[in-house]
Amino acid sequence: MTSTKSNISRRQLLGMGAMAPLAGLMPGLIRPAMAGDTVKLQFMYPVGVSGDINKIVSGMIAQFNAEHPGIEVEAIYAGSYDNTEQKVITSLGVGAPPSLWLPINSALQTFLGLDALEDVTDLARNDDIYEDFLPGFLNTCVSDDRLYGLPFQPSTPVLYYNKDAFRAAGIAKAPDTWDELLEVAKELTIRENGELKRWGLIIGGGWHDWMFECYCRQNELVPWRKDKVLFDQPEAIDALEFWVKMVNAGVMAPASTWQGSANDFMAGQTAMLYHSTGSLTNLRTSAPFEVGVAFMPKNKTYGAAQGGGPLMIAKNQTDAQKEASWTFARWMTNTANQAKWSKATGYLAVRKSSWESAEMQSYLQDVPEAKIALEQAAFAGAFLQVPGYHRVREYLKSALDRTLAGEIKPDAALIEANTNSNREIQRLLRRQKG
Amino acid sequence: MTAISEAQPAAHAPRRRSVLARLKGNWLQFIMLPVALLWMSPLIWIVLTSLKTKAEVFDPEAGFLPQALNFANYPATLAVAPFGTYLINSIIVTGSILAAQLVTITLAAYAFARLEFPLKRLLFSLFLLQVMFPIYAIFLTNFITLREFGLINTLPAMIVPFVASGYGTFMLRQSFRQVPQELSDAARLDGCGHFGILWHVFLPLVQPTLIAFGIISVVTHWNDYMWPLLVTNSDNVRTLPIGLGLLAKSDSGADWTRLMAGTVIVVSPLLLAFVIFQRRFIDSFMHTGVK
Repeated sequence: MTSTKSNISRRQLLGMGAMAPLAGLMPGLIRPAMAGDTVKLQFMYPVGVSGDINKIVSGMIAQFNAEHPGIEVEAIYAGSYDNTEQKVITSLGVGAPPSLWLPINSALQTFLGLDALEDVTDLARNDDIYEDFLPGFLNTCVSDDRLYGLPFQPSTPVLYYNKDAFRAAGIAKAPDTWDELLEVAKELTIRENGELKRWGLIIGGGWHDWMFECYCRQNELVPWRKDKVLFDQPEAIDALEFWVKMVNAGVMAPASTWQGSANDFMAGQTAMLYHSTGSLTNLRTSAPFEVGVAFMPKNKTYGAAQGGGPLMIAKNQTDAQKEASWTFARWMTNTANQAKWSKATGYLAVRKSSWESAEMQSYLQDVPEAKIALEQAAFAGAFLQVPGYHRVREYLKSALDRTLAGEIKPDAALIEANTNSNREIQRLLRRQKG
Repeated sequence: MTAISEAQPAAHAPRRRSVLARLKGNWLQFIMLPVALLWMSPLIWIVLTSLKTKAEVFDPEAGFLPQALNFANYPATLAVAPFGTYLINSIIVTGSILAAQLVTITLAAYAFARLEFPLKRLLFSLFLLQVMFPIYAIFLTNFITLREFGLINTLPAMIVPFVASGYGTFMLRQSFRQVPQELSDAARLDGCGHFGILWHVFLPLVQPTLIAFGIISVVTHWNDYMWPLLVTNSDNVRTLPIGLGLLAKSDSGADWTRLMAGTVIVVSPLLLAFVIFQRRFIDSFMHTGVK
């Protein structure tokens, strides 16, 4: 067994202590400065899934640096998606942004509003980006037909189900439509003497607004434009009424948390779960039963909203840095690296050629579930790319929660969330113009 | 009569009496024991979870105790990030903040408690205002200041913004005001200057307050996450909570076994320090009435 002791000697400790104040005397280290012929880039990224992602990212960057003598990328782990966005916006605020960062795709309009993003449309046209990237993923970086980044780690929600529980209930396959979903959930819910033993379905809380957009898309409604939201449309109200129907039937939990819902699924307290593809590896390896993966059931059509994030390049930096940033973004999303990344994390590879590669093919043989998410991605679009999406998400989540708790009617809740969200978006747009 | 009635129970129940007597003497223990267990339960749970396997955590069939002690989570946690470096940084940062704060709050509190100078009330109100400001409100201004100093991505970046504390100054000023004026007058007659009075009279008397403030300060800065994340970029200047953040994933649910192992690593230095200085800490809280 390996020792758990830190392998730092006393000499190193003292040395570091003595060096610490000196570090402050080297401001040159802080900004990405041109040092000789080497272009220095900072790359801020979040870590969103389990597995040793941080190691994988820093390993990839070390490899990139070794292969590209003229470029030096500094890998900066920046917490969650929200933390990363805060860190990048703070750096933008003082006029020294990192060269590249990896936000959630919903932040596109936020960063465009800050005039922070380099337009990479022409670079992409001269490359194979438009041919080889899966269009559903590429579209998450597009605003007004211009491209502002390269998708790197897309995910979508999928329906996870407990195959053992399905077998025990004599259900042969995962539900394919909303009606089937309700029926199957009814059969799988277990109550003993009125006490609940197992839910039929839990929709992962905390991101249930993301799932809700999927339901809207399954009703053929994209519930936003780049300058407004459309939560008050009949398709959206219909989707929420369906959720209420499932809660009232006693088969769906009215509230949950993101991590709690995954735990409940693994502990057998729900037979079905809506969660991110990013959870695939964790659920597969941690659950004590066989985990099934299926498309989210359709209503009028299949539909999904993209989570995960693209690599974005800063506008406010030198041309040499922009060029090096493109080289880096391009390398991180090349065929081999995307195949490797997808296999290690459960995120979806963004290139068609990655899926066709031998490495990916053999992975799909071992884990056929990974393919489901890719097929579903054909029906997926970007998630809530409006300015101020943080606030909008809170308005929508509050509306969903209060409706499911029975405090308010679906249409009233959604109209209220719609009004509040659009007011917030208008406020931000006015400020950008002013 | 009395002899008989007394002799009878004594004859066959000496045992019951001793139990009763013991119960009477130690009844507090019977209340405290469950309370102590309740308080300990999260800690015990953390340690036990850190020794389980991933599947065991969510298996309803598995018991409360791990089937086999699985220490592999610890090396696996340490492999995620350089926790050794993080630990040293945490100690340097928290220690420097505490040392600097003790100096600044003592001097400021003495001035506010015992000296007369123009605008004293206004200045003190400003100090109190600083307590009421949420730290997030001044993140950007602090960030800009540090950047002008060229301190971003250094250990001092995590220390400098916290060297003064409005809360500590307020706490200590109240304690200083409770010290009888006669004591400092006597010290003055004996030839002490301001520093002499502060050192020989005031500080020994307010020790409990200093310790109470020390605990609050250490715990706050030991666990601080957002500010260190914002002002540091490299592993060699980062602190323990950032390492923990790596294990609490947003997209896929937490990696519980390793997260708990990491939590044990992060909290054990604090727990250890608390156990060692337990008596002093408890004394100090008894005196200050802080709970």
